[in-house]
Amino acid sequence: MKIPKILIAAAVTLGLVLLLVAPLFAHHSFAAEFDANNCREFTGTLTKIDWQNPHGYFYMDVKDATGKVESWSFQTYALITLKRAGIERQFFIENIGKEIWVKGCLAKNGRSNYAAAGLLKGPDGVLRQMGQLQDEPQGAPK
Amino acid sequence: MKRRRGIVAIIAVLMFSSLSFLSAGAQNQEYTIKVMPAGGPPPRLPDGHPDFTGLWLPNSAGQGVSGRYGVDPEARRQFDPKVTPEEPPSFQPWAVAKMKSTTGTELELSKSSVNCMPRGVPAIWLQNPYGTMLVHKPGLFVQLYEVLNNFRVIPTDGRPHAKYPEPLFHGDSVGNWEGDTLVVDAISFDERTFIMPNGWFHSDELHVIERYSRPSMNYLIVQITVEDPKVLTKPWTSAPRRWTLANDKINEFYCTNNREVEELEKLKGLESPKSQ
Repeated sequence: MKIPKILIAAAVTLGLVLLLVAPLFAHHSFAAEFDANNCREFTGTLTKIDWQNPHGYFYMDVKDATGKVESWSFQTYALITLKRAGIERQFFIENIGKEIWVKGCLAKNGRSNYAAAGLLKGPDGVLRQMGQLQDEPQGAPK
Repeated sequence: MKRRRGIVAIIAVLMFSSLSFLSAGAQNQEYTIKVMPAGGPPPRLPDGHPDFTGLWLPNSAGQGVSGRYGVDPEARRQFDPKVTPEEPPSFQPWAVAKMKSTTGTELELSKSSVNCMPRGVPAIWLQNPYGTMLVHKPGLFVQLYEVLNNFRVIPTDGRPHAKYPEPLFHGDSVGNWEGDTLVVDAISFDERTFIMPNGWFHSDELHVIERYSRPSMNYLIVQITVEDPKVLTKPWTSAPRRWTLANDKINEFYCTNNREVEELEKLKGLESPKSQ
């Protein structure tokens, strides 16, 4: 079936509109250090939490397709932001050794096994916002 | 012709849907975190002036809004630009050139949120996403900033500025009442701070006037005027920005083991100056 030119033009226009709007949802500092176009999902075992400012870091062991385990570290919001969103240190402590799912974006400078965490889902199945992602609520500080 | 009309209709629906999607957050949603009501009249100090004591957050919700869903956009912001528009600062040409020559990474590294330098005045009131606890008594106005555990003590007993003020991150500050508004006058600033995180720097002639009022129990209004004849062509005044009272405690925030500077340094030299 031949697609009408006017439909293609409309689709292109819509795409451009969305591209223009997308940066409004991005955070500048996040964008400087992490690549919003290089995000992926991770499933692995939570191993450690560094509860400190200006950012917290948590660590997880991630198994690749060949079964090889690699340790990754993830940056979070500042602790105050996590706490005011209802996420306490105890949440991490209680889940060390358990399987978690994370969506994160990789560092622009190519540092290996290092990412900014956006979303995290623990064994309770609740999705928690850990930091900046393009699809997160607006207005979040670092 | 009929087929063409059908296609036009499909396009119209597509475009309308996309616009509806973009504005959905502002109109058709039941928010769980809303604008905090103003509350009753403000408490007063023994001398009759409004008492600003409390933990204040830079939003209209009276609770954390970052990283949370279901937040009314009105509750996220401190002022409505349609009601109280904020004029952009008017820079001297040399200042514009200096800001334009900065790369994105250099700009990032200059930010207090990255390098952990004190934000300073007035940035602590203009670009601070964290809470501030105010402790107020006749003759004294104490500001305890959550971020970096900074603090500032402002005498309001009518004393003048220091005779030989030294450069300070929070400036040499004194407060005087104009009716129910406390006007804090600050001079003599450390030149390493920025007014805004967009690279707006200042000179040794920076003069900041802060106007604090508490029109109701739950609202604190802060309006900032920046005078800096070396950098600006005219003074700049912020919109009256609302902070809301939080039933929360002030948190500790020491900046330690910060990886950001080291990580961003690796990006230096890989980009050209940004165009602003």
